[in-house]
Amino acid sequence: MNKKFMCTAATACFFLLLSSTVVASDLDMSDLDIFLERCGSCHKKGGGAEPVNPADKAGVVWAKYFKRDRHPGDLNGTINAYEMNQIIVFLQNHAADSDHPVAAIIPK
Amino acid sequence: MNTIAGNTIFAKVNSRRTEMKKTLVSVGMMLTMAGSAYAEGETVTIPAEDYKAIMNRLDALQRRVEILESTPQQAANVPEAHYEKVTEDINIIYNTIDDLETKSVQNKINFGAELRVRADNYRAKNYNTIDMTGFQQHVMAGMSPMQAMGAAMTHHDKESDSNNWTNRFRINMEAEISDSLQFHGRLAMYKNWGDSDDASASYMLNDFNRGHRPGSSNLWVDRAYVDWIPSGFPIPLAITVGRHPSTEGPPFEYRENRLRQSTYPALLFDGENDGIVVTFGLDRYTGLKEAGWRFAYGKAYHSDDDNNTGSAFPFFDDGEAGDSTMAATFFETKIPGLKNSLAVLSYAKVWDLPFYLAGPNLYETGMANVDLGDMDLWGVHLQASDIAATGLDLFFSYGGNRSKANGNAPLGVFGLLSSDGQSNHSGYSFYTGLRYTMPIEALNMPKIGFEYNKGSEYWFSMTMGTPDLFNKLATRGSVYDLYYIQPINRYLFFRAGYIHIDYDYSGSGQHIGAPMESDTTLDNYYFLMDVRF
Repeated sequence: MNKKFMCTAATACFFLLLSSTVVASDLDMSDLDIFLERCGSCHKKGGGAEPVNPADKAGVVWAKYFKRDRHPGDLNGTINAYEMNQIIVFLQNHAADSDHPVAAIIPK
Repeated sequence: MNTIAGNTIFAKVNSRRTEMKKTLVSVGMMLTMAGSAYAEGETVTIPAEDYKAIMNRLDALQRRVEILESTPQQAANVPEAHYEKVTEDINIIYNTIDDLETKSVQNKINFGAELRVRADNYRAKNYNTIDMTGFQQHVMAGMSPMQAMGAAMTHHDKESDSNNWTNRFRINMEAEISDSLQFHGRLAMYKNWGDSDDASASYMLNDFNRGHRPGSSNLWVDRAYVDWIPSGFPIPLAITVGRHPSTEGPPFEYRENRLRQSTYPALLFDGENDGIVVTFGLDRYTGLKEAGWRFAYGKAYHSDDDNNTGSAFPFFDDGEAGDSTMAATFFETKIPGLKNSLAVLSYAKVWDLPFYLAGPNLYETGMANVDLGDMDLWGVHLQASDIAATGLDLFFSYGGNRSKANGNAPLGVFGLLSSDGQSNHSGYSFYTGLRYTMPIEALNMPKIGFEYNKGSEYWFSMTMGTPDLFNKLATRGSVYDLYYIQPINRYLFFRAGYIHIDYDYSGSGQHIGAPMESDTTLDNYYFLMDVRF
């Protein structure tokens, strides 16, 4: 009885914590969100530019890419400094030389 | 680049021509205006010298236009030497790119490495050890198995093992063979510092010279598998074959300070495993993200005839315990509404679990290995990282098992989760915890975590490859695990931790014999350094 109660209580606590954070989690903007919103508007299939895969370049190469202002279009008017920083962080976190999850692949 | 330079020169020439033409048009307009004034009855008279000057100017301009139009573009202010230099530079760049592309194509595998150095201090209380040689001698002398076990058993009130150091080194490999075929591999070494007491050690070959003396051809392959996504199927399909990513699975990545490392939740399966996994991608049908349904097949045990003398075919099954096979199915997805989350539903069945997973040792004792029965395993796993951007990670995992003994009970005490091999039993375990990333940038965002797991009397799952030496997730009892992670930079971190285990029953991690009540405890203090690059 005691073991069942502990198990049930732990499960209930977990789901309570999860459910209390679901609403809040939709409000925050992660670096992924910023990347998808600011870059994904053009970089998509059928969009104004080719889709971008962060793993196409190493992290240090992404940093140099923007430092050298190699992006073809002018981004100053559309992406502010904070967003640009978050986008670079996202690209570096998922770059070719980044740590990435390992499991049997799930096909899309 | 050549085209750009050419275009620039072209533009300059055109610009000059345009300028000339503008001048001609302006002069022409002046004369036209004069003409039109005459047409309206007003005569403009200009001195003959001025008229001549204008006409001469017009002739001069006309000549210059003709000259420019008949002159080749290359002559426009750009020295010939410059063109040659640019052409030479471009050829050098092309040659360099050719070399790099060739090397890139030849570099089929990307390598990474990781090194872990860990120092452990252990303290155990109230535990028993059994002298197996003495046990067998007692049985041969006529004692019953239970009597022999009692006679061979030694009780320990309190023991400690401090200053225990280990090195773990791994070489990770990956290759994108084609768009639909990827290879992953890992070679591993894991050893105690100065370990020279194993069976292969000798005066000539020990820990001081294993890399400098001829020994064996052993190379431990932790993982070696390919992900293949064949085309042409109505449902996205992937086939993963080889030695799988099946160790240190979710949620171990929290305490290991890395991303997910295995297909399977750690509570249910954490061991090196050869097999086949077929995964159907369900994102487009369910609306869920990262959703997949997996079917897995593998072997938990295989023993061939190479330890028996006289066999013409030593690679045949030895006919003792036979193979132990596994089949499993898993459904996994991101939890809707939660970024960086994972939910996994699992079911697995293991057929013909052998009495002893390392059969050849038994052969030396003259005791045949036999299979004891089957085991069902199932589980639910939930986890979410950085919930609401608070830095908080949470997980909960539940596992259950049910044995189906086949009546075999070697020595009369080693049935499947029982002494007699006649009764079936169910067990469970749950595993929960959290990790918090402290927003202290001056300390590189350190992390603190706490984990708790509790297993019942008959709990058993396949967790033999767990990163800790004491297999905490197999515990039939309670485990408290507290740790602190101090990142130094992207590649280096330290972890310090304390683990306390209360064993309620004996035989944790073993599928043989009936569990017995236990007061054993284990305390572990450790400190480790981990480098990955």
